[in-house]
Amino acid sequence: MSADPRPLSPHLQIWKWSLTMALSIFHRAANIAVAAGVVVLTWWLAAAATGPAAYDQFIMVLSSPFGKLILFGFLAAVYLHLFTGLRHFLMDMGYLLTIKTADQFGAAILLATAFFTVFTWFFLTGGM
Amino acid sequence: MAQFTLPQNSKVTEGQAHNATSATTKNARTFRVYRYDPDTKENPRMDSFTIDLDKCGPMVLDALIHIKNDIDTGLTFRRSCREGICGSCAMNIDGTNTLACLKPIDEVKGDVAIRPLPHMPVMKDLVPDITHIVAQYASIEPWMKTESQAPARERLQSAQDADHLNGTDGKGPSACILCFCCSTSCPSYWWNGDRFLGPAILLQAWRWISDTRDEATGERLDALEDPFRLYRCHTIMNCTRTCPKGLNPAQAIAEIKKLMVARQ
Repeated sequence: MSADPRPLSPHLQIWKWSLTMALSIFHRAANIAVAAGVVVLTWWLAAAATGPAAYDQFIMVLSSPFGKLILFGFLAAVYLHLFTGLRHFLMDMGYLLTIKTADQFGAAILLATAFFTVFTWFFLTGGM
Repeated sequence: MAQFTLPQNSKVTEGQAHNATSATTKNARTFRVYRYDPDTKENPRMDSFTIDLDKCGPMVLDALIHIKNDIDTGLTFRRSCREGICGSCAMNIDGTNTLACLKPIDEVKGDVAIRPLPHMPVMKDLVPDITHIVAQYASIEPWMKTESQAPARERLQSAQDADHLNGTDGKGPSACILCFCCSTSCPSYWWNGDRFLGPAILLQAWRWISDTRDEATGERLDALEDPFRLYRCHTIMNCTRTCPKGLNPAQAIAEIKKLMVARQ
């Protein structure tokens, strides 16, 4: 930025957040998290191709509490990005563009993300 | 590139506190008002004014006028019609953009924070410099363009066609008063306002595109077919939420995007 003598008025610092504004940034954050999670999956494949020692190391890291947190977060990000992506698709088709419908659908996809994440986690791990 | 923090010269400091209440005041309220004086080199500050609400009208604009009349005559803000049709007193009140004249004080809980429209260069106090956004408005050529022979009298339009402009509920694009509450509420416009036209201007673009008397629709769509001018809208919907007239710029932008696809 050039040295504009005029101050810039406050923006993000003072804005009162809403669900639709949060979902827009969640969509991007989930996108980054999914991309990062794919690196973990690549490590899984690479470890399997390298040999038993590397694979055991991968399993050890991912079955630690921290590793489980990473996997759980990855799962949540996949679902969230799936649903927010669907939301963008519908909005681009001209739906959900009133405050009421956008808020209702937004709340629904947050609930759906929580439900599918927990359901899938327990389905895959048997509750571990 | 998005800059999430304020530049050094824009950081807001704590200002003076004025108390205009007395022992007999029953209805005291504190207003925290953004101040910037271009004659000093000082950073902007938040002054607080504690006033007696029984001495002014019910709207935030009434409180500002009371402060200017009776406490600090230097307080600077735009206002004119005081009934929500001129768009002059657009400002950020309690974290949301609206018209001070349409915002009842009792809708705000606690202290009433008043700042200029967000992410704009500030000329003085609550007055932003709108030169750029007005130039963007001019760039969409907001007038009727025709090639057909002009009729002897005005160009007529059916009631149904007029509904595209006025809206059956009176909230169509022609009800926009260009207060710029929406554009300055939009994070995309904050980060890319140099090239993204923003919701107010795109709503006006839609107003001319959807006018059945206008004959330059193709030309208008060509001008918007650009990664920045139109497509920085990510349906954050702050525009629709903040519009003091209850209009829906997000819907208008979606309609333009749909036309872009339909004409391919």
